[in-house]
Amino acid sequence: MDLATFRKALDDWLDHNERELAPAHSGRGTLADNMAQLAKVKRLGFEAGWMRWGWPQRAGGLGGSPILRAYLGEALMAREIVGPDVYSMTEVLAPTMINFAPAELAAEMVPRLLRGDEMWCQGFSEPGTGSNLASLSCRATRSDDGWRVTGQKVWTSYAQFAARCVLLTRTGSQESAHRGITALFVDMDTPGITIRPIRTMHGTDEFCEVFYDDVAVPFERTLGEVDHGWAVAMDLLPYERSTSLWHRGAYLQRRLERLLATVPAGTLSATEIGEVTQLLLAFRARSRATQYRMADGEPLGPETSVDKVLIATAEQALMDVAARGLAHEILLGDDGIAEYWRAAFLYSRAATIYGGTGEIQRNIIARRLLDLGDDR
Amino acid sequence: MDASEIELFERSVRQATERHSGDALDGALAELGWPDALADDPPTAVSVLFPLQGAANVTSSALDEVVATALGVPPTSREAVVLPALGTRTAPGDARGHRLSVRGLGTARLQRGVRAVVVATRDSNGSFTIVTVSTTDLTLRPVEGIDPDLGLVEATADTVGFEPGPDGAGNAWSAAVVLAQLALSHEILGAARSMLALAREHALDRIQFGQPIARFQAVRHRLAETLVAIEGADALVLATNDSPSPELATVAKSLAGRAALTAARHCQQVLAGIGFTAEHPFHRYYRRILLLDQLFGSAHGLTRDFGEELLQSRQLPALLPL
Repeated sequence: MDLATFRKALDDWLDHNERELAPAHSGRGTLADNMAQLAKVKRLGFEAGWMRWGWPQRAGGLGGSPILRAYLGEALMAREIVGPDVYSMTEVLAPTMINFAPAELAAEMVPRLLRGDEMWCQGFSEPGTGSNLASLSCRATRSDDGWRVTGQKVWTSYAQFAARCVLLTRTGSQESAHRGITALFVDMDTPGITIRPIRTMHGTDEFCEVFYDDVAVPFERTLGEVDHGWAVAMDLLPYERSTSLWHRGAYLQRRLERLLATVPAGTLSATEIGEVTQLLLAFRARSRATQYRMADGEPLGPETSVDKVLIATAEQALMDVAARGLAHEILLGDDGIAEYWRAAFLYSRAATIYGGTGEIQRNIIARRLLDLGDDR
Repeated sequence: MDASEIELFERSVRQATERHSGDALDGALAELGWPDALADDPPTAVSVLFPLQGAANVTSSALDEVVATALGVPPTSREAVVLPALGTRTAPGDARGHRLSVRGLGTARLQRGVRAVVVATRDSNGSFTIVTVSTTDLTLRPVEGIDPDLGLVEATADTVGFEPGPDGAGNAWSAAVVLAQLALSHEILGAARSMLALAREHALDRIQFGQPIARFQAVRHRLAETLVAIEGADALVLATNDSPSPELATVAKSLAGRAALTAARHCQQVLAGIGFTAEHPFHRYYRRILLLDQLFGSAHGLTRDFGEELLQSRQLPALLPL
């Protein structure tokens, strides 16, 4: 399946099924509405084959280039069928699952994620472990019949909707830092897991505190080697900055189109609208090259931090412009469209915080790309 | 040229730009077959030479050749092209009846040339025509200015008589602007990368408080910010190289110009005192990018024009499909 054929056939399918694919809710919808919409779109997309292209056959896919996945998400964002936040978890978690899970586990589980049967979450950050990921302390100890996990995670997106979690645990001594971490694939309905959603400033229970109290996890649920979970994390982080960022870029372009179409004449200067569009295009060109490198099988690494800084900068710049151009909606509006814009604006404040802060990305760029040596 | 041929060609062009500048570089490039490469595959030839020319802070008449080639006027040693006036991308000539006025710039070639090629807009119908006049009909002022090394010439004329050629050079002029903007974007980013290399080297060498200043996050983040600006612009420039269009070239030139100004600001601050001296090479790069930014449209002006088009059409052009 080449991209041109895929694009044409997918566009036709999206046109043809426009009504069935449209969200049942109007306006912004609740998080549960958005989850239901995501599950519906993935199921329809899986049944028609679209959600399977670009994924390997051993994980329930139909094979083909990851470029197909990049286009699928872009088309869904451009048509406002699903949002980039809920859609991103698939692109972030499935590639690493396929790379590190035992083959049978990946074959069993990944199709459930692609088909929308399940939502998954990512248990990395902890109260004491934000930017310094290698200092995590949620502990997994061996028992006769498997791991027992005790500790706390935080900022776990969509944990309250998730059936599984890719969880980083401490298996070495606390001083072992990145050398004593093990990644596990945990069923979220296991006894001992308590989930407390956190309300964000954009009014969504987007992420959660997750408490693990002596939670049993079978040894077969180990991802990669014991004490080598850092390799799993390092494999996953570039996926946070590749296909899912391409999709986010498509969503931002759609916001820009909406802004251009609706902004009252005379509220925005040509310079500010020109500059923000150029920032988005620079990200698009950069991320487009990343998609093709990934499709060619090149390993992704620290250079994806450049993509992340570009899109975070562009997103905040765009929403700053939107907040000036659509001040009435964003500040005073109470209808569905106003709520959508206000949430998008407020959410953009987190663009330089989540997925590695702007400072962490620049640290990576300085050390790994500019070779400036250690900073400590 | 395939990838390995381009690599070989790039290596010899690199040697030429590291050893020569001005007339000597023109000679070396002619020997290497760069003008043939330009005639053969303009975007590739441009993408090989101009980043290196910018990085080495050298000059040549290549921009003149780029414009001449796009206009379909084979460059000879006797002919030179008049480039748009500072800060503009409009045709330098204004043809009314049989009288031509000119406001533009030229490379060193214009100073030496016998004839000047001027693209002019026609008052009668707004179309474009290519006019060739004697360089003696133009007032040529060698520019010292902020970057004397660049060897620019300012060309003006108020009422030159000319025989009007055929109309319909609009497409050729548009292609010339695209290719020139692409070339200049490459050159600007080459210069920006050199500024970053100078600042990086300084940060690693310079010891304060018992450690290289490269250890300090304030310094590291300035340099990281510089790299992000350069790489973002470069991605767009390379995409323009693959499928040149007026829209993409305008965005590329804007991003390149802004990235270089960002690079200059951060790198000069990291270089601090030494970067403020005439003994350090930083200022040569800074002077160069200030001028290159203003050729064929500045970052500021092009961004404003782009934004005006967006606000007017209320639509986002579908650029850079997968």
